[in-house]
Amino acid sequence: MSDVLEKLLQSPRLWRGRSPAEGTGWQGLSSGYPKLDRHLPGGGWPPHALTEILLEHYGTGELKLLMPALTRLSQTGDEDAAHAAGWIVWIAPPFEPYAPALAQWGMNLSRVLVVRPKRAAEALWAAEQALSSGNCAAVLLWSEQMDDVESRRLQLAAENGRSWAIAFRSVKALSRSSAAALRIRVSAGDKGTDLGILKSRGGRPAVIRDYASAPEQ
Amino acid sequence: MLPPGKLPATAREAHPTPSVTKRKRPYPAAGDTAQQSLSLQMPAAVRAELVQATIVHRLWLCAYLPSLPLEAIMGTSSTGPCAVTEDQQGLRRVLLANAEAAAAGISCGMSVNAALAFLPTLSLEERSPAREEEVLRALAARAERFTSFISIEMPAALLLEIAGSLRLFGGLGALRQAISDELQQLGFTAALAIAPTPLAATWLARAGQRVCIRDRKNLVGALSCLPLSCLDWPDAVTGSLQGMGITVVGDCLRLPREGFVRRFGAGSLLQLDRALGRLPDPRKCYRTAEVFCQEYELAEEQSDSELLLNACRKLLLELERFLLSRQLMVQRVRFSFFHLQLPATHLTVGCAQADRSIEHWYELLAIRFDRLVLPAAIIAIRLQGGRGQPLSASTGRLVFSRTGSQRREPLISHLVERLSARIGDESVHGIMAVAEHRPQHAWRAAKLFEQPLHCHASPLLAEPRRNSSLLLRRPLWMLPEPRPLGIEKGLPLYQGRLKLLGGPERLETGWWDDDGIARDYFVAANPAGMHLWIFRNRDRESGWYLHGMFG
Repeated sequence: MSDVLEKLLQSPRLWRGRSPAEGTGWQGLSSGYPKLDRHLPGGGWPPHALTEILLEHYGTGELKLLMPALTRLSQTGDEDAAHAAGWIVWIAPPFEPYAPALAQWGMNLSRVLVVRPKRAAEALWAAEQALSSGNCAAVLLWSEQMDDVESRRLQLAAENGRSWAIAFRSVKALSRSSAAALRIRVSAGDKGTDLGILKSRGGRPAVIRDYASAPEQ
Repeated sequence: MLPPGKLPATAREAHPTPSVTKRKRPYPAAGDTAQQSLSLQMPAAVRAELVQATIVHRLWLCAYLPSLPLEAIMGTSSTGPCAVTEDQQGLRRVLLANAEAAAAGISCGMSVNAALAFLPTLSLEERSPAREEEVLRALAARAERFTSFISIEMPAALLLEIAGSLRLFGGLGALRQAISDELQQLGFTAALAIAPTPLAATWLARAGQRVCIRDRKNLVGALSCLPLSCLDWPDAVTGSLQGMGITVVGDCLRLPREGFVRRFGAGSLLQLDRALGRLPDPRKCYRTAEVFCQEYELAEEQSDSELLLNACRKLLLELERFLLSRQLMVQRVRFSFFHLQLPATHLTVGCAQADRSIEHWYELLAIRFDRLVLPAAIIAIRLQGGRGQPLSASTGRLVFSRTGSQRREPLISHLVERLSARIGDESVHGIMAVAEHRPQHAWRAAKLFEQPLHCHASPLLAEPRRNSSLLLRRPLWMLPEPRPLGIEKGLPLYQGRLKLLGGPERLETGWWDDDGIARDYFVAANPAGMHLWIFRNRDRESGWYLHGMFG
C-alpha cells in the first residue's frame, strides 16, 4: 500500500498543495541561480516535464537562464549509468548556437545536436522523436505555432522519455493554455532580467527581480 | 585391342612420348619404367607424393541440375504442360518436358510438330543458355552461405568445397540436407554427390548416384561402375570406346596409358587421373560481386504504397542475406523505382552508422517513402547497396555490469537517422569549436560520429578561459551574417539607442586567405536590456554591425 502511495507521490503528474521541497517530492534540476531555485518546487527545474519560456525577443537572456543546468546535463558522469552524459538537442534555433561561447560555459560540445527543420510541423515532430528516444537529456524547441494539443504531446513525450523539454514561445502565447509543468516569462527589468513564474506545478506563481543576482538574506 | 604390357617395343619407340607425360614431371619417362607406364596404374611412390603435395582433405559436393534448361525458363510457378526446345541438326526438338507434358506422352528428342500433335496446349520455350548461366550464378551466390569455395561447372552443375564447413553445419548429413533443402525450396531438382575430387563428384552426380565418398581409397571402386555417358566426353571418343566394348569407367582404367593417350588424346587421360585424385585439379572460385544490386519486377504496374513497401522489404531481406554471408554492413542503400514511360525515381537512404539489420532500414525507408512523390505507377524496383564495410560487432555486457554509458550510443544514432531521413541530412548536425580568432570561423557544423579533428579547440584551453577574470566574452547566439545597424548621433541603434558596455576587442587577422578581418568588437546593451555583440570595421569607418547576442 505504501509502495503505491510512494509511487504516486513521485509522479510529476500529481499536483500537491504544499511545496514538494518540504516533503518527499521529486528532486528538481538545480538552475544554478539560488534566487530562482528557491521559487521552484523541488528546488530546481522540473525534470521529465515541459518547461515553457515566454519572451518578447530572442536573445533577452533566455539562454543564460538555462546554461548552468544544460551544462551539467551535457557532462559525463562515468560512475553511474543514471548520470551518463545526455544529449542536448536544439530544434529550430533562431540563430546559430555559438560553439566557443557554449564551451566557455562548460558545455560538452560533443553532446550537442542541432536540428533545423524546414517547416514548423517537422520541428514538433522532431522534438517528440528526440524526447521519446530516451537518450536526450534536454530538448530545446523554438516554435511559433504551438497549441494546447501540441504542448500536451510534448509534455507526455518528456514524461515517457524521461527528458527535459524546453519550449521557447512568444509572449503572445501568454493567454493560451498550456500543459507545461512550468511557464516562465522572461523580461527586462530595471537592474537585470526579471522572471515571472506564471504556472508552476506544485509551486506558486511568483515574480523574481534580477534573478542572476545573489539572494538577499 | 592389345592387352596391357603386350605392346611391341618397336611400336613404342616409333611413337614419340605423349605430350602429357612430358609436361607432367611426376610421370615416369616412357623408357625407364616401361612395364608400369603401360598400365593406367601409377607407381605407388609417385602417387603418394602427389597426393601429399596437392589435394589433401578436400571434399567436394556436386549439385547437378538435370532439368536446369526447363527450370531456368519456367521459374517456380509453372502451370500447365510446358517443354523446352532446342535446335538439333536443323530440327527443333523437345529437350525437356515437365511432368504434366511427360504424362501426356511428350518425350525428349521428339520433334516440335509431333509434340504439338500430341498436345496442342503445350507451351514451348526456346532454350536459353544465357538464362541458365544467370540462374547458376544466382544459385552460386545463394550457396555462398554454405562454403567459401564454389565453382560453377558450366553446363548445369555447382561444385562446393565442403570439408571446411562440416563442423559448422553439424556434419556431412546435415550439410547435405541443408543444401538439398535450399535447392528444393528454390524450385530446382538436383542430384547431389560427394567425393574427394571435384571431377569424381561431378561424374557421380551426373550418373544420379546419391553417394558420399570420403576416402580416396574407395574412389576407384565407386567410379568403376559409372557409364561412359556421364563423363561428358566428346561423342567420337565415347563412340569408339563403346565400339571397343568399353562401357564403364572401370574398363577404361584397365587400358594401357600410352595406347589410351594415342587413341583418345591426352585430355581424356588427364581427366581420369584428376577424377581419381592422382593429379591436382585446380578450380576457379566463383565470387559474386561485392556490391549488392537486385531487382524486383512487379507483375503489373503498382502505385499502392503498402504493396510497394512489401516488395522493398523482400529486397531488403535479400540484402541482409547478402551482407550476412560476407560479414559486411552498408551505410547507404539506393532504391530505384522504374516507371513504364518516365525516367526512374531514385531514393537514397543513409544511416549515420553502418547497419545491416533489415528492420532498421525498413523503418528509415518507410519514413522517406511517406513523403516520396511518385510521378507514375511502378513496374519494377531495384535495390543497390553501397560500399560494404566490415561488420563490427560489439561484445555484449554482463547483466550486472554497472557501466551503461556506452549502451546509449547506438540509440542516438537511430534518432539522428530518423531525423535526417525526414528532414534532410544537412539539417541535422553537431557543432564544434575551432581554434580561430575570427568569430565566424571559430565554430563549424560537425558531422555526427566523425572522429574529432586536431584543429578543434581543446577542452584544456577552454578550462582556464572560463574561470579567468580576463574572460573574453563570446555571445551564445551568433548571427549567420553580420547585420548592419542604423546610426543615430554616432551611436548604433537596435530597438533603441545602444550603450557600449565593454570593448573594444580588436580582431585583425586572416590575411592569409581572402576572408581577413580588421574589426573592433564591443559589448553593448539596448534599452530593452539585451546584451549585444557589435563591431565596427577598422579600415572603413563606415558603420556598425550586429554579430551576436549574449542571449
